[in-house]
Amino acid sequence: MARIMIAFALAVIGAAIVATVIQTQFNLAALVALSVPIDLTVRMHAISHDLLHFGPIIALIFIPTFAIAFMVAYWLSVKLKVAERWWFILAGGVGLAVAFTLIDSLAPMPTLIAANRTLLGFILMSSCGAFGGWIFDRLWHPRPQELLEELP
Amino acid sequence: MSRLLQALLVSLSMVLSAAAAASQQEPQAPQVQVTPKVLAKGLHYPWSMAELPEGGWLVTERPGNLVYLNPQGQRMHIPLDLPDLYATAQAGLFEVLLTPDFEQSRELVLSYSCGTEQANNTCVVKAKLSPPNAAGYALSALQNIFTALPKKEGAAHFGARMTWLGDGSLLVALGDGFVYREQAQNLQNHLGKIVRIRRDGKVPEDNPFTHTQAPEVYSYGHRNVQGLVFDAERNKVWQHEHGPKGGDEINDIVKGGNYGWPMTTFGKDYTGALVSPYNDLPGVKAPLYQWTPSLAPAGLALYQGDLLVSHLAGKRLQRLRLVDGKWHLVAEYLVAQQQRLRAVMVAKDGRVLVLTDSTEGELWSLDLDIQQ
Repeated sequence: MARIMIAFALAVIGAAIVATVIQTQFNLAALVALSVPIDLTVRMHAISHDLLHFGPIIALIFIPTFAIAFMVAYWLSVKLKVAERWWFILAGGVGLAVAFTLIDSLAPMPTLIAANRTLLGFILMSSCGAFGGWIFDRLWHPRPQELLEELP
Repeated sequence: MSRLLQALLVSLSMVLSAAAAASQQEPQAPQVQVTPKVLAKGLHYPWSMAELPEGGWLVTERPGNLVYLNPQGQRMHIPLDLPDLYATAQAGLFEVLLTPDFEQSRELVLSYSCGTEQANNTCVVKAKLSPPNAAGYALSALQNIFTALPKKEGAAHFGARMTWLGDGSLLVALGDGFVYREQAQNLQNHLGKIVRIRRDGKVPEDNPFTHTQAPEVYSYGHRNVQGLVFDAERNKVWQHEHGPKGGDEINDIVKGGNYGWPMTTFGKDYTGALVSPYNDLPGVKAPLYQWTPSLAPAGLALYQGDLLVSHLAGKRLQRLRLVDGKWHLVAEYLVAQQQRLRAVMVAKDGRVLVLTDSTEGELWSLDLDIQQ
């Protein structure tokens, strides 16, 4: 169980970091298009700020999303007995796309996350769920190789 | 790679020290408890009011009603036919403003959101109010004098506050439509702008951007303007607008001015993300006052040379004084039964009137007769 919890936490953290960096780049790109000067220091400052302030918020969205998505992925992989990793990747990505859509339909503002205002941004942000699914599946149970290494 | 890591570490320390500095509290203004006198009840999301010379007030209700309140607070419905009214969420009927020569012309202007969920924006109509008679009031000669373009999707950030300038032209404040924030810097449309038009809807020749596709634009770089007033004594236009999470601003509006949104802001996105790393940039007009955290100002009035600002989220009335070119908070007026405050005006007899924002909105009279 501890391994599953750690794998889940790492999936959330890893996906949140990637999602944060992606959304920061979208925000900065919009400013660059307005001729706002964004040098490396400013870019790093923006990433740092967003990792501290946006990262925890997006992680809070990922936790329930991944919990549901990964259970569905596990059920599908057991039921169909094939391609476990792909089910987790697909479930993470689709789960996040559904979660973003649901949040935007419920939140008072039309789009909660600025990067999701464009189709490309929405796809890239949702793909962070797929990345989370990949991390979780990679870590949540020992691979056959690891089990062999544990034999005396 | 090491340069990247170094920059990241320096940035992290800068962010942490900035957060520590931001947590330091500003000095508190004196808080004054006031007891409102309720002049009228049962208003459904009232948005603005105008005092009639013959007595009583016109009040707009956001779902689309124009009502007359007599001095005793009794309401009378005024039929208003706006076929393209789009009323939902933040959208609906907004400001009612009498023309400067209302006593002779009986003309007024109304701002509202027009269109559909997929294609809407802010519109302004001019109309004529009948003299009072036994049947109440009637509007006639409705004429569209402005439609903000482009039509956009969603029911957020319409602005819609208006004020007359000394030369008889009309300023109409607009919003950025929330999801179109970068358009506030695009001079080819009306999103995130304050526009200036003549009373008949025509564009004044001395507008600053008459060469563009949006010649009505007077100033730009606004997010969602919710307060606008012409200060004839100082020949200034004062404005306030909503920031996102933090960064609500009071600005001194000048012709052709760029007020920065979204290139500069003291606010953050609702998710905590940076909208912009900059509070200030060359060529951008800095605010004369800013609220962080946001109080969601909605309504602005001049009172004895000071500004009165009513707040939605802040549920209070604030008084600010101009000292050395900056506005300073000098008093906060709190009411025991805290309500979201949508609009404030000063009546001809000097009373301060406030509209509360709810399904059962009220018109209050507040006594601020306390020396500051």
